[in-house]
Amino acid sequence: MKDPSRIYRWLLLVASVVTIVYLVGAAVRENYLAQWRTVQHEYRNILREKATDDRGRELLAKFRVEMKQTTIPALGTVDRCVTCHNGIDDPRMTDMPQPHRTHPGHILDKHPVDRFGCTVCHHGQGAAMSFNEAKAEDVFWDYPLLPPELTESTCVTCHDAERLPPDQIPLLTVGMRLYREKSCGSCHKLGGRGGSLGPALDNEGAKTKHQLIMTNLKPPHTTWSWQNAHFRDPGGVVPDSLMRNPTVTRQEALALTAYMLSQWKRDVPESYLAPDKIEQKYRALHPAPLAGEEVYRGYCTACHGNGTYTRWDKKFNRFIPAIRGVSLISTATREYLRANIEQGRPGTQMPAWGSHAGGLLPEEITGVVEYLRSGAPAVPAMTALTLHGDDSNGLSLFLKNCAGCHGMNGRGGMAPEIGNPVFQQAATDEFIIRTIRNGRIGTAMPAFQRNDAPAFSDQDIADVLAYLRTLGEPKAQKAMAQRVTSRTPPGGKP
Amino acid sequence: MAETATREFLHNLHDLPQTVKDSCFRLGKAPESEREESQATFHNLFLHIHSVRVHVRTLKPTLTFGLGLMATASFLITIITGVLLMVYYKPSTDLAYQSIKDIHFTVSTGRFIRNIHRWSAQLMVLVVLLHMARVFFTASYKKPREFNWLIGLALLVLTLALSFTGYLLPWDQLAYWAITIGSNIANSPRELTDAIGITRFFDPGGFQKRLLLGANYVGQDALIRFYVLHVFVLPLALVTLLGVHFWRIRKDGGLAKPEDPPGGLAEWGGEKRPVFQPLATKTYGLMALVKGKRAPVNRGPENTVMSWPHLFWAELSVFMVTVAVTLILAFYSDAPLKELANAAIPENPAKAPWYFLGLQELVSYSAFMGGMLIPMIVLVGLALIPFLDRRPGGEGTWFGTSHERSVFWQSIFFACAVTVGMLAFTVNYGWLRNWFPNIHQLWIIAINPGSLFVLIFAAWSIFILKRKDSVRLSAVSLFTCFLVGFTLLTYFATVHRGPNWHFYWWPSQWPVH
Repeated sequence: MKDPSRIYRWLLLVASVVTIVYLVGAAVRENYLAQWRTVQHEYRNILREKATDDRGRELLAKFRVEMKQTTIPALGTVDRCVTCHNGIDDPRMTDMPQPHRTHPGHILDKHPVDRFGCTVCHHGQGAAMSFNEAKAEDVFWDYPLLPPELTESTCVTCHDAERLPPDQIPLLTVGMRLYREKSCGSCHKLGGRGGSLGPALDNEGAKTKHQLIMTNLKPPHTTWSWQNAHFRDPGGVVPDSLMRNPTVTRQEALALTAYMLSQWKRDVPESYLAPDKIEQKYRALHPAPLAGEEVYRGYCTACHGNGTYTRWDKKFNRFIPAIRGVSLISTATREYLRANIEQGRPGTQMPAWGSHAGGLLPEEITGVVEYLRSGAPAVPAMTALTLHGDDSNGLSLFLKNCAGCHGMNGRGGMAPEIGNPVFQQAATDEFIIRTIRNGRIGTAMPAFQRNDAPAFSDQDIADVLAYLRTLGEPKAQKAMAQRVTSRTPPGGKP
Repeated sequence: MAETATREFLHNLHDLPQTVKDSCFRLGKAPESEREESQATFHNLFLHIHSVRVHVRTLKPTLTFGLGLMATASFLITIITGVLLMVYYKPSTDLAYQSIKDIHFTVSTGRFIRNIHRWSAQLMVLVVLLHMARVFFTASYKKPREFNWLIGLALLVLTLALSFTGYLLPWDQLAYWAITIGSNIANSPRELTDAIGITRFFDPGGFQKRLLLGANYVGQDALIRFYVLHVFVLPLALVTLLGVHFWRIRKDGGLAKPEDPPGGLAEWGGEKRPVFQPLATKTYGLMALVKGKRAPVNRGPENTVMSWPHLFWAELSVFMVTVAVTLILAFYSDAPLKELANAAIPENPAKAPWYFLGLQELVSYSAFMGGMLIPMIVLVGLALIPFLDRRPGGEGTWFGTSHERSVFWQSIFFACAVTVGMLAFTVNYGWLRNWFPNIHQLWIIAINPGSLFVLIFAAWSIFILKRKDSVRLSAVSLFTCFLVGFTLLTYFATVHRGPNWHFYWWPSQWPVH
């Protein structure tokens, strides 16, 4: 009879040999082939070459091939980068190739590795023991190693970027300036100030790649490559983005990227904060008002330009009015302008800018109003209109002459919504009459009572006004409110 | 006197290795006769659960493929590696992830051990399922082994539970969202109670979820619960039931096999051999403890071989094969560890562990039906098999009764057609909610692809029952349908479901986030 366990003994032999081979293989891989061991052997050779004086010989004698790490409990980091970057604090290593080279600049003088570690500035996976895993671009890690030029964006964790020497943070300096110049605040909030068309940017730097749409982006899929590409062409990265192309150069896009990466409300212990950072936090609680023109540049120009012309916006699908145009500011009172800025214009893309919403201070809004009105001609006296209006005649006049642009019931179309509560409350009778009479130069709003060819009589204007005021009645307002809430919000995408 | 005591001491010292060895091993030497071989078996705590002699059939590799042993072996490997991992693992939401990272990066052989743990756990789930299929198709659940089939089912559930509880422990995104899905499945009776509006008074779903998580969300309480279950409660339960499982194998007469005709000739290895003829006057039942017909002794000794060494060579080799397979997998493929768990960034798609993906596919139609009712029906159905199919025959032989093989293939074909057809239909045309947006949820719970699978498969097995007039064949058809459905749904949900549980031909087509 054949031995029934023969096959099993062969199997056992094979399996045991395989087991031993793989066990030995795993041991060799871990103990002899690890990348960091090779690096440290190389470094020891370098030390040996450079051991020309007592100090050098001492360093050589002290050097051990072993795992090295910096543990910073206060920051919650364990950084093993120094396992391979052995020479970062050795000034003799400036001419060595990476990873042996001395840390550039004098940053380590004030930021000793044993107090700060590495990843608090550089990001990356500090716990990793191989470069690929430490760089962490293609492995599962939220914050991969920052490219050298963008590393400055993390200085802001402990410093106030405004107080750092600009030559230390070249990109951030440009980025901050561009953020104001490009009037990013018109649509985005930062520190509670800004428009509401785009997302708030306060924690933009804390985003991981999983929070950004990478579909239209070529690898590598990192947050900074997304930001960079997005600043060059917002619509190309986020297909139905409302964002206007900021028209920046390659370098400027990089600067804005660095600025975005620096937006991270990161919790670090107080003892790590530079005094200027603490001051900055205090200042944020007690902001100093900006001058009117500055506010206008920072928060209005993205949509209104310099405010002297009206333009048709394709994405908004409506006219953006010339808010510094003569015909508006010669008609509009300060109160009207103020109410429109503070409360916004419901039904349009104009958000509310009062301290409860856009975060502008009352003084700043006053300043903007004054800025808008600067250079305006004195408002000429108007012949009073004492006629009593008939709203049903007003309705038929409105339907014939106004509804085409202002929409049925004044719900807005190409032209502004004149049934909405803010308008109804802010616009005085005088303002409305004046606008109907004179039209709005630079927009599609014609003058209805020019001297040469009066289309409306005074009575007609009074009728239309009476009709318009019925739109402000509670019933009409309720219908309007329902319509506004049921409409999908404009845009919403970054 | 001193002289002799010193000499005795030195003599004892000299003999020390031999005496220590003798005291450890009761036999003290390699067995040389069959008697000593028997002693080697039953004088050893770990071996004495085996019978002294086993039927040659037991050693035929293609009978069992060693699947049960392989499951045991992978369980032992997970126990050993698991204990090693426990040394470094810290079950706290603040520390767990970092401790796994440390195991991965700095603990000596930590990465390798964690990989082994992970792979042997996966292997265990797979092998346990295959083992169940083996036992079914060789009809080894039949009398007197019905109870052991039930123990086996309990072990299957424990295996899945062990694997699932281990999933959360790394506290990474994969873990967090898989457990979120899992706990929502536990919550799924709410779909029914909500639909009939009694959740306020009677909320078994919410109770189950809170029982599992210790809170309404996946957090520290959930982590510590899963940890305790994973390292203590479930392994203990599994070891206990495993003991019962083995003990019953022995007491139920070893592996199921066809009866050798007493006193005649039995065919084995192409030769006819005389079969042992028991004496009428002697009781061979081992102190009447063993159920059945005077169990192992009844079978012809000519067809049995000594357990030592043959069975033990076989067992050891299967064990080592399992170790080798696990090591190879662990050497080349790292256990996954995603980003730190973050409740603010949902994984999309958030997928359960692979063995629950079939269920997740059903859950995507109806949480209650897919997550609760169908698993219950499947488990109860599996448990009932040995009690409804009681006619002896075919034990210990693959597809042992007539027509089994053809019913098996027909059922495979049928179940493939039904499953693929249903999935294709659902992907292309949607389901009730897409056609009647305002339909009451109860309709969807009652009529969805999952419940239709159950109905169609049940109808098929009743059809086989009538047509073939055999309970066994009906069971074969139903079990085959279950296996095919499980496999195809698991495959479908693994490969073809992407973000928002949409259909994709291939994961590379997923939109990148």
